[in-house]
Amino acid sequence: MGRLTAPDTADAGTPARGWLDAPLESGSAAGFGVYLHVPFCHHRCGYCDFATEAVGGLADDDRDALLRRYVAALERDLATQAATVGERAVTSVFVGGGTPTLLPPDLLARVVGLVGRELDVAADVELTVECNPETADVDRFAVLADAGVDRVSMGAQSFDAGVLAVLERRHRPRRTAEAVALARAAGIPRVSLDLIYGTPGEDAAAWRDSLAAVLALGVDHVSAYALGVHANTPLGRAVAAGTVPAPDDDVQRERFDDLRQLLRGAGFVHYELANLARTDALRSRHNVLYWRHGDYLGVGVGAHGHHDGRRWWTTRSTARYLAALEQDVADGGVARDASGRVRDVTEEERLDDEARALERLLLGLRLAEGLHPRDVPPIAREALESAVADGLVTTACGRLQATADGWFLLDEAVRRLTA
Amino acid sequence: MPTTVTYPQARIRNFCIVAHVDHGKSTLADRMLQVTGSIDPRKMRDQYLDRMDIERERGITIKAQTVRMPYRPLGDVGDEYLLNLIDTPGHVDFSYEVSRAIAACEGAVLLIDAAQGLEAQTLANLYLALEADLEIIPVLNKIDLPAARPDEIAEEIGSILGVEPASIIRISAKDGTNVDAVLDAVVDRVPPPAGDADGPTRALVFDSVYDPYRGALVYFRIVDGRLRRGDRIRMLATGFEGEVDTLAVQSPDEAAVDELGVGEVGVLAAAIKSVESAKVGDTITRAGRDAAHVPPLPGYQEPLPMVFSGLFPLDSDDFPLLRDALEKLRLNDASFTFEPETSVALGFGFRCGFLGLLHLEIVMERIDREFRIPLVTTAPSVRYRVTLTDAPGEDGLPRTVEVPNPQDMPEAGRIATVAEPTVTARILTPKDALGPIMQLCEQRRGEMLAMDYLTPERVELRYRLPLAATVTDFFDQLKSLSRGYASMDYELSDYVEAPLVRVDLLLNGDPVDAFSAIVHRDDAYHFGRTMTERLKELIPRQMFDIPVQAAIGAKVIARETIKARRKDVLAKCYGGDVSRKRKLLEKQKEGKKRMKSVGSVEIPPEAFVSALRVSRDG
Repeated sequence: MGRLTAPDTADAGTPARGWLDAPLESGSAAGFGVYLHVPFCHHRCGYCDFATEAVGGLADDDRDALLRRYVAALERDLATQAATVGERAVTSVFVGGGTPTLLPPDLLARVVGLVGRELDVAADVELTVECNPETADVDRFAVLADAGVDRVSMGAQSFDAGVLAVLERRHRPRRTAEAVALARAAGIPRVSLDLIYGTPGEDAAAWRDSLAAVLALGVDHVSAYALGVHANTPLGRAVAAGTVPAPDDDVQRERFDDLRQLLRGAGFVHYELANLARTDALRSRHNVLYWRHGDYLGVGVGAHGHHDGRRWWTTRSTARYLAALEQDVADGGVARDASGRVRDVTEEERLDDEARALERLLLGLRLAEGLHPRDVPPIAREALESAVADGLVTTACGRLQATADGWFLLDEAVRRLTA
Repeated sequence: MPTTVTYPQARIRNFCIVAHVDHGKSTLADRMLQVTGSIDPRKMRDQYLDRMDIERERGITIKAQTVRMPYRPLGDVGDEYLLNLIDTPGHVDFSYEVSRAIAACEGAVLLIDAAQGLEAQTLANLYLALEADLEIIPVLNKIDLPAARPDEIAEEIGSILGVEPASIIRISAKDGTNVDAVLDAVVDRVPPPAGDADGPTRALVFDSVYDPYRGALVYFRIVDGRLRRGDRIRMLATGFEGEVDTLAVQSPDEAAVDELGVGEVGVLAAAIKSVESAKVGDTITRAGRDAAHVPPLPGYQEPLPMVFSGLFPLDSDDFPLLRDALEKLRLNDASFTFEPETSVALGFGFRCGFLGLLHLEIVMERIDREFRIPLVTTAPSVRYRVTLTDAPGEDGLPRTVEVPNPQDMPEAGRIATVAEPTVTARILTPKDALGPIMQLCEQRRGEMLAMDYLTPERVELRYRLPLAATVTDFFDQLKSLSRGYASMDYELSDYVEAPLVRVDLLLNGDPVDAFSAIVHRDDAYHFGRTMTERLKELIPRQMFDIPVQAAIGAKVIARETIKARRKDVLAKCYGGDVSRKRKLLEKQKEGKKRMKSVGSVEIPPEAFVSALRVSRDG
């Protein structure tokens, strides 16, 4: 792996590649993040196709041993990758899952502290941990607060018991409010809630009630995603078999419109397609990094990293991951590949300019503010005119942005712009 | 080394097997090859005579095959007999080819499944054989099956042929029981070929197939005279002349011979570039001054395509490949026609003519299998005859035009009358399914001509039906209504006037030519509604509302709306996984490039395939 320093600047500033080599807000200008993945869950929810590993069925001792092995592997993984980074300071860390709060407090503390031990960290770093209302408790929040976690992202998903049941989420709606209160009491300043809408069986009233419940909790950030059905999940199979209706695009659009209307009405800034914050300062910096085409390390099972047009990702198999990292410890790292990575657990792709242009648009236009003209990749005139004429994007404010309507049609907008 | 194996006329027996699909014709042929010792047991494979994969899989014979089997019945001390089995195609689409193969024989083995009984197609071919004065040898097959009802079926056949049921040979081609009795009957009962051994050469072409190395291989039966290798020949109908460079018999592998005499069956090659020059039914004679005076053998017809369909490459870049494929298929199939066609919706393609629906399906399947070109096929259509209101022609008669393509239908104001081709269908059915089948025929605008009980359990129905009705799902319906027991055959009949209209489908106000169809006025509304509903389902939502209309001329008869798409975005890039999302978008962009455009509406080619399948299924 090359060093994650500033990109080769030989061509920087030439007009044709300025969007790549000398962007104002995007790419290397967007910051530098670390994503840490903790794949373990009590059970795997029916809709989930993330890299997760259900450990609810394991005996306590076995589970404990597995989690410890994993955290040790994670340490090795980060240390290996950190050696390639150089002087760059980390601006955001996100610990996601899975269910990071399934880890016992001592392991959770080790994971959260990892980045600070291995890398330079910016003074104003944002440190987020994903929490599950079911597993978060006083001890864990205390650990997180002590470790400097300034933000938790809580997987509320819905405040409707029926919807939670369809999603196979095990917590009761009330539990989310309790967990939010616990996080605050522990001294964690920023709390975000994750929501899913358009779940089969969720009606407009249930969704509005969920949004009202969110507002009542006074959280400062909301991530809300339309339910996606993946073929390789139990929900996907149920939809294919016809036992559960497929989510309806029109319904999801109505939910999206309700979301933005209700939350904006309550003062939220809808800064990204699926993210809203009470103020600009409360935006998720780590999320914005992704959308700005930024650089980040991906550490752990199924984690993805990106640096200047190179993307890499780790195996989704916990067993393979553990085996490879433990072997790396045992042989002192002699069997690493040419890029200095642990063998057999990562794959990578190097993107050409065309693919990077596609990414720049599909990511950047998710942000309400869109792209600075300097950061916009070359777009054919007819393509731009077609997208503008059909009301998908606008350049009216001096930046390239999705329109209010075009936001939920972003894939079409990007296909047009890159046609 | 080529050999000359000529048999005296009196020792030759030319025969065919008339049977329904699955009644065991190929198995019987295999068994005959074994019993006569014509095939090395180690080389034996099932269905020896069916050469194309499609034939094997579908259990039908598309091209005629022949095999020559020397045979001496046990207890006969004389010379060997020469049995020529001419295997006929097995489908109504190829009934002309069947008739020519039958014309090359003196006898026919009528092979009936002892469990299934007589089927309509067998009956049709039996009538062809009777008309050609063939000696009929009825045979009951599959007597080893538990479900066999040999006595009952022997009664049925006996009553149709006017023979003693007890005289019908009962065999099992599968295990070989009584196959020798069939061969003995062929020797005893089929007359030897008549014909003038010393007269001018006349040979009947009953099939021709294309061979990439030798050109067309012509299968013939010598009616008068003889043929030698090196002879210069002339085809009387096509005018082709060439020198016979290969003269052979199939026994069953090809064996070269120097000469074949009167009554014999063989195959020749003469550097004939395409089967176009060696058409089924043509007469081969020796070229020379006298050739012009040789009277052709009776019964020759130009192949006449009856069913038409537009073939378009799914990917427009494949157009040159498709043209090459059709040219190659045409080398081997003179009854298939094609000419370039342009569709606003589907781009460049070809309007193709076929003998019938099966013929169409076989050609499609060959394009798919041998050339691997994905296709969009428009709904099969027939050739309508339209009388115009224009001023009469020079002959004083009203002007008429033939319309094989719905798009070419003149505008309503110019149409005086429209006539459509009809068929006379013969349907054999168990009496239980009689009601539903009659209902089906009525629905498809059939007119009953006759109804006869062949036995108390089996009924023969005769209907006049529009040919167009038979190129939809009619046959499938017939099978499903009778749980597989009904069978049908038809022959072409007259053109009949009918109140036919062209229904157009419009997307966002623009007609989609590929979907236009000519239907009966009474069916137009149903057709329009079905198609608009299906198109609404099949065409992906776009950036704006799209009206989907069915119209006769300017009059809209059905309307649906494809609502504008309101969501087209993937929710999440989980854990920084941008690659998955980017790849999905790249794939979608690829898909977008393949889209066919009608006005401003983009249609995935697969939607055409599905919608046209629906329109074909009536």
